[in-house]
Order: sequence, then C-alpha cells, then structure tokens
Amino acid sequence: MKYFSFFLVLAITAALAVAVSIPLGEIPPIAPLLDPNHGFWQNSISEDQLAIEEIDLENLSAPVEVVYDQNLIPHIFAQNESDLYRAQGYVTAQHRLWQMEFQTMAAAGRISEIVGPIAIELDRMTRRKGLAYGAELGMKYLQENDPETLALIEAYADGVNQYISELEEARLPVEYKILNYRPEPWSAFKSVLLLKYMSDMLVGDRDLEFTNLRKILGQAKLDKLYPDFPTENDPIIEAERIWDFTPSAVAKPDSISYPGDLIIAEPLPQPEEGTGSNNWAVAGKKTKNGNPILANDPHLSLNLPSLWYAMQLSTPDHTVKGATLPGALGVISGFNDDIAWGVTNATRDTRDWYKITFQDDSRKSYRYGLEWRQANLRIEEIKVKGQDPFMDTVVYTHYGPVVYDRTFKSERQDQNFALKWTVHEGANEQKTFLLMNKARNHNDYNAALDHYAAPAQNFVFASASGDIAMRVQGKFPLKWPGQGKFLMDGADPRLEWQGYIPNSQNASTLNPERGFVSSANQHPTDASYPYYVFDNSFEQYRNRRLNRKLREMEQITVEDMMALQFDDYNLQASEALPVLTTLLGTYKSDSPEAERYLQELKSWDFFADPNQKGQTLYSIWSAETMESVWRELLDSKAPVLRPSSYRTIELMATVPSDSIFDVASLEGVETAEYHVWAGFDSLLVKMGQWEAEEGDYAWANFKKTTIQHLVPNFKSFSATNVYTGGGSGILNATGSRHGASWRMIVELGSEIKAFGVYPGGQSGNPGSRFYENFVPIWAAGEYLDFDLRAQENAENVLFKTTLK
Amino acid sequence: MRFIFLTILTAILVVFLNPVAPFWMVMIGIAFLAALIYPNGFGGFLGGGLGMGLTWLGLCIYLGITTGSSLPDRMGELMGLGSGVTLIAITGVVGFLLGAFSGWTGVSFRNMLLKNPEDVYQG
Repeated sequence: MKYFSFFLVLAITAALAVAVSIPLGEIPPIAPLLDPNHGFWQNSISEDQLAIEEIDLENLSAPVEVVYDQNLIPHIFAQNESDLYRAQGYVTAQHRLWQMEFQTMAAAGRISEIVGPIAIELDRMTRRKGLAYGAELGMKYLQENDPETLALIEAYADGVNQYISELEEARLPVEYKILNYRPEPWSAFKSVLLLKYMSDMLVGDRDLEFTNLRKILGQAKLDKLYPDFPTENDPIIEAERIWDFTPSAVAKPDSISYPGDLIIAEPLPQPEEGTGSNNWAVAGKKTKNGNPILANDPHLSLNLPSLWYAMQLSTPDHTVKGATLPGALGVISGFNDDIAWGVTNATRDTRDWYKITFQDDSRKSYRYGLEWRQANLRIEEIKVKGQDPFMDTVVYTHYGPVVYDRTFKSERQDQNFALKWTVHEGANEQKTFLLMNKARNHNDYNAALDHYAAPAQNFVFASASGDIAMRVQGKFPLKWPGQGKFLMDGADPRLEWQGYIPNSQNASTLNPERGFVSSANQHPTDASYPYYVFDNSFEQYRNRRLNRKLREMEQITVEDMMALQFDDYNLQASEALPVLTTLLGTYKSDSPEAERYLQELKSWDFFADPNQKGQTLYSIWSAETMESVWRELLDSKAPVLRPSSYRTIELMATVPSDSIFDVASLEGVETAEYHVWAGFDSLLVKMGQWEAEEGDYAWANFKKTTIQHLVPNFKSFSATNVYTGGGSGILNATGSRHGASWRMIVELGSEIKAFGVYPGGQSGNPGSRFYENFVPIWAAGEYLDFDLRAQENAENVLFKTTLK
Repeated sequence: MRFIFLTILTAILVVFLNPVAPFWMVMIGIAFLAALIYPNGFGGFLGGGLGMGLTWLGLCIYLGITTGSSLPDRMGELMGLGSGVTLIAITGVVGFLLGAFSGWTGVSFRNMLLKNPEDVYQG
C-alpha cells in the first residue's frame, strides 16, 4: 500500500512538473515563465538596478568605459576601433538582443523556426526575393575587397556573442520566454543581412501595375495620369544646378515589345505608404548664430522596441553620436566634432522584372538572345518549428531569382519572372557608415558615400567649417526613358541595364546659393538632369512646404528647426479643400450635419494638430472622393495603381469635366462634381458612424497613432493612442502607424549643440522604465539633449561600466 | 510543529536555491526536506506548498514594489487575465502546487522506506 501511495504521489508530482514545463499549443511552458527567479518577473527590473561596475569582455586590447546618461544612452570610450565595435556589439545586445535577432531572422526567411508552419509562405517569399543571397554576395565582397571592415564586423559579432554566451535565464529578453526559444550566435553575415533588410523595407517597384495600366489606358492616357514630373516640381537638388559632366550614353532599342496580357496577380509586398523622411541643412548665412544647422527625421513604421538605438562612440581619434541600428556598426544618422549627416530614402525604381523563357520543364536553361543560358538552382532549407524542414528550390538566372514559379504561387499569371535588384550585388554599405563616423569634411563625406549602394539615400551634410551639401547616393542603373517601368522580356538582351550611373554623376550639390539643402523623398532633380529617373511615389507636398519655409526663413535658430520638424501644416488640404468646396456647391446644404462639418472645415487653418477636427473631416472627404474618382480603374480585375493625390487634385481643379471623371457604368456624363458629392455623402455616413460609436473626432483621437511591438499580437507591449498631430504628406508625417522614427537637430558651431528623440526608449525590455519613456517627449515635439559627452563629465550619469 | 518547520525550511530553500536552479531542482529539494523532517502527509503537502507558494508570491510582490514595472500588467493583458494582480495570484498558486506535491512525495517516500513496526499491537 505504502509503495503504491508513494508511486502514485510521485507520478502525480512528476506529471505536474512535466505539465508546467512543456508548451501547450500556443501557451509557453508555464512554470519557467512564472518562476519569479527566472521567468518574466525578472524582466521587471530596469537596467540601472542591474548596473555592474566591471564586466569581463575578452579580446579587448585595453579597457573600455561605458557611461550611461540619465536616459540610458551609452557613451562608449575605447582606445581603438576594434575595441569600440566589440563593445558596441556587447552593449547593444545587452539592451536589444531579441529585436536584433528577430529582425535578421525575418530578413533571412527564418520566422518558421520561431512560430511554426504558419510562416512558411512568408519565409519562402523572403528567400525568393534573394535577401540572404544578396547578403552572401556582400560577405564575399568583404572577404575579397575589404578584410579590414570585415574584421570590425566580426569584432562586433564577437561582442554580441560574448553577451549571449554569458546570458542568464533571468536576464533573457521576455519575448524569448513567451515565444519559448533561445538566441543563437550572432555573425558578421547577420550584420550584412540587416542592411539588405533595410532595402526590403524601403525599396519597391510597380512594374506589374504599370504593365497593366499601360494595357488598360494606353500609353497616352498613362502619361497624362502618371506624368514623370509634377507640374510644380520642387526637387531635392536645386533646379538652378548646372550638370557640368558628360553623361554615360544609354542606347534605347528601336522597338520594344512588352508582355501583352493583363496580369492578374498580387504584386510583391511594397514598402508601406507613409514611409518617407525629411532632412535639410541651412548655411550659416541664414542662421542667427552664423553656424550651419542640420536636421533629419527618417519616417518609418513606428515600432517597439524602436528601430533606433542612441549611442556615442569614442576613440582617441574620433567621437560620434546619434542613432544606431541594432545589428549594424557605427552611427547611421548623427554627428561628430566636425560634421553632421542624415538620411532620407532616395526612392527610385532599382528593381525590375524579366520574363524568363525556359527551354523545357527541367528549367535548367533559358533563352537569352540566340542562345540558351544555364540557370542555377538554389535549395532553400526552411526549418520549421515542430515539423520537418521545408525544402524550396529557387531558380536563379543571371538577372536574379525567379520569384514565382510552378512551385510557389503557381496560380499566378506572372510566373517565371526574374527579379533584378541592386540588392543582389556585392556592396559595402557598412564601410560608408564607418568612414562617415570619422569624416571631418566634405571630401571625407564624399569618399564615404562612394561605397554606398542600397537602399539609395539622400545624404544631407553640414560641417563646422561652414559647408552644407546633399548627395543622392545609391547604385542606380543606367536606363533609357521608360526602361524598367514595365515588365520586360528577359530573352531580349537589348533590355538589359546598360551599366550604372557613375558615383560622381549622382545628383548632388554643395553650398547652393539659396543657403539651404533639403530632401523629402521628392524627385531628385528637375528635367535637366541627363539621366532617366523614375519612381511612382515621389513626394509632392512635404518637399514644397519644407522648401517654402526654408526659403523665407532668416536668422534661423535651433528652436525654429525643431518647430519645422514638428510642423503640422497640411499643404495638400490647403490646395484641395477650396477645389472640393467649390465643386460641392450647395449640395446637401439643407442637412444640419453637413452644415456643421462645412463650418468646421471653413474655420480650419490647415494645421493637422491633434485637437483639430477639420483635419479629420478633410482626410475622410478627400480620401472618399479620390476613391470614387478611381473606383472603376481600381475595380479592373488586374492589380493597378491609382494616380497620385497630387495629380488627382490637379485634374479636379483644372479639367473637372474631363472624360477621366466619367463613370462608364452610369448613364450620362459624370464630372469631378459627381465624385466630390459622392465623397461628401460617404463623409456624412462615416462621420455619423464615428460620432455614434466613438464620439470625439479630434484628429489624434481619429488617427490613433500606435507604436506597435514587432510581434503585432503582443498588443500590451505597444503604445496605443498616442496624442500627437501630423500625418501623411505633412512635415510631421506621423500617421497612425508611421512617422518620424528619429528626430535630430545639430548646430555646428565651435561647440556642437545637438538634440534628438525617437518614439521609444533605449531598452528593448517592455518591463523596463526605459522601454517607452521617450514617447511622451516625442509626441509633444520635444527633444533630449544630445551633446557629445567627455569621458570625465560626471553630470547626469546613471551608471558606468568598465569592460575589460 | 514539523509542518511549520518544513514551511520555514522550504521557504529558505526556495530563496537560496531557486535563483541558481530551475524550479524542478527546487521540487526535488523540497521532497528531500519533507522526507527529512517527516511531518504527516497533509503536513508535507501544506508545508511544501506554503513554503514555495508564499515565497514565490512574496518575490513577485517584492519585485513589483521595488521596480514599479508595468510588465505584470502588460503580461496579464497579453495572457488575457486582465491585470498583473491575477498573475501574482496564479504564480502563488503554481508555486503552492509544485511545492505541495513535492512535499507530499517526500513524506510518502519516507513512509515507504520505514519498516512496518512489527511489534506494535495493531488490532
């Protein structure tokens, strides 16, 4: 009996211990998660409570001191670059390990390893775009051409790995505990891959949509609705710039045949709308103190942990501070003792699709001119949590990978197109940032940029010596006008890219007469630039607002620049609302609601401040009107792209009776007025619903800005309903999910004055008090002091750690 | 008396062993303690349970007070439990169950090892 009772109790106890140790479906093992000594409770502790004075870090040549200011911003003081980047890797991993690994897992198409078979399709897509393939070529490029940079990237990886190897269960980031997996070693490859991932986030193409549009509309109407240049082009490089070089020749084939049929298939996922940025620099002659001032605010998805991580990196030779990308070396947008620089996305079509004609079903060779070329097969092994790996065979042509084929989304019509993309070519973006961090003048800046390929960026520059500059840098294919706008035939060698625009001929300017340089993702140049530049998403509003303000401003101060970054003026509304109200006429003038909304719109000053109701009304009315204008076009069964808001408003204002406004399915002839009325009807319906369900329709309450955790399901790790103004097309481009992911302003005097902020916090740990402590500061348009720190400065020190 | 003794020793064990060992090693430790101290079965259950449950509960509350962190609430919401207070209670209950069954197992083990006293009148 007593044997029986012992074994019974033992069995119950053992069963209990096992039950709480294994995952049950989506639920992670409960006891390790709840154990207050190791589980999530330990992640309640903030970094300053865990401060350690000395940490062993191997492979250092001299001790490294890390000084944290009151915002947990580390200032790393090392004796040489190798030590510096080893320490950067270690310190970044301390605060952002889960995020760095998760982002590179996503970039490598390895999410299935974490979440199981649900992500296989996503991972196949990522791999078929060739991001990891591009990173492998990037590694090869480093091994062959730049072992010094590779050694630094490996030092960084070693720092990360030393942190991972000593990581205790209690200190494991909480996301690992919830998702029940553990970090794997970091590698130089992952750092290279991260920069490829940025390309994926920022670069798109609309070849498929334009191919369909050309078929539906015809070339003439296509050019009318989608002009290459807007009427009021206010480009990045001032229009007065003279291009004093001999451009490389681009030969256009005599006749080009495009794929003839409509293609009914979903286009590749595109960068999300609203992803854009501002940067500018004003010369000393326009500022109150006579010093150049530089400003940068890249707009990206608003995420937690934040994409950015602030740092100062110092050796005896240089000191640089600004925003780093966890996983990449050095500072990406920042300043040092001599210069400051910043980035905005230089959107341009650098991704093209070529139709591949295989010789037979084996897909071993494909037609190229008169010959058959050999294709390569790349086997992708996708490991899957809880089941056997998934093997995917991807065909690679000399253009690039064949994304969709008979094994992947075989229902698509656009099977067997190869993706040609600058990301698939070996390049050395990391070197650009390493050199820029140490740059002292305009020449150093240019030398640093020569290594940069993708994603193309508009690099703004200012120096304490008084220079301001802008350069649109990327590896840009030489194209004849129209090349790559549509899907192309890969069997025709005449449709190949004909080389690249030389770096020295990329659009750039130094100390322009107007006293400022600026970019806001608009067209890089006016039509005089001798190369074909195409993208569908060039900005038409932020750029004009920014340049107008910069032209009229004098005696500029840092505070003026802060106000400009936080400027909520809706230029589109100021241009479109008079058109809408004129076309509306007296429609619905008998409705009291309509009267109330119109009054609110009339008294609105066009500022999208958080308490404004006019902005809410305008955003719905304009969106619904444009939706109505292009509904028939968008309803075509093939994917297309609607003309830009700028072009739509221009057409409504200038040719309201044009046939483009006619709705074929209705009798009679419709004009722009019809769509404005339809949009207004929708506004009344939507507002009626909103007021009944939510009540207040002030802008902040309506747009509900959310800074979302990288795992969207982890809603309670996100910051929701942040009270802040701005929106798409507005300098303060903070929409509901996108906005200024980093704001920086630097005055380059004899002493550098710098300010910065980002919507997040230094810690990646949702339990830390440093997780989202910058959000209220950011939302109010305020800044943190970002001045360079001397090692001996004892003010506002949170704690210090020596690595040795 | 032995039950109180077990409760206190279990708490001490959890405080000192748990930070360096996973929960299942603590369970083995509690069983060992229960076998050593040897209260009756119910005393082993309650002593092990209260010792571990209260210590886990106390640690959660201590961490909550000293850090002021919003994490318990965030986790509570994530797990669909509402607030962090529920999670504190659940942690205490899980700790209690793990400790209690360990204690009971320890006592039963000792029971099993003891020889039946043959010279005692059982009638």
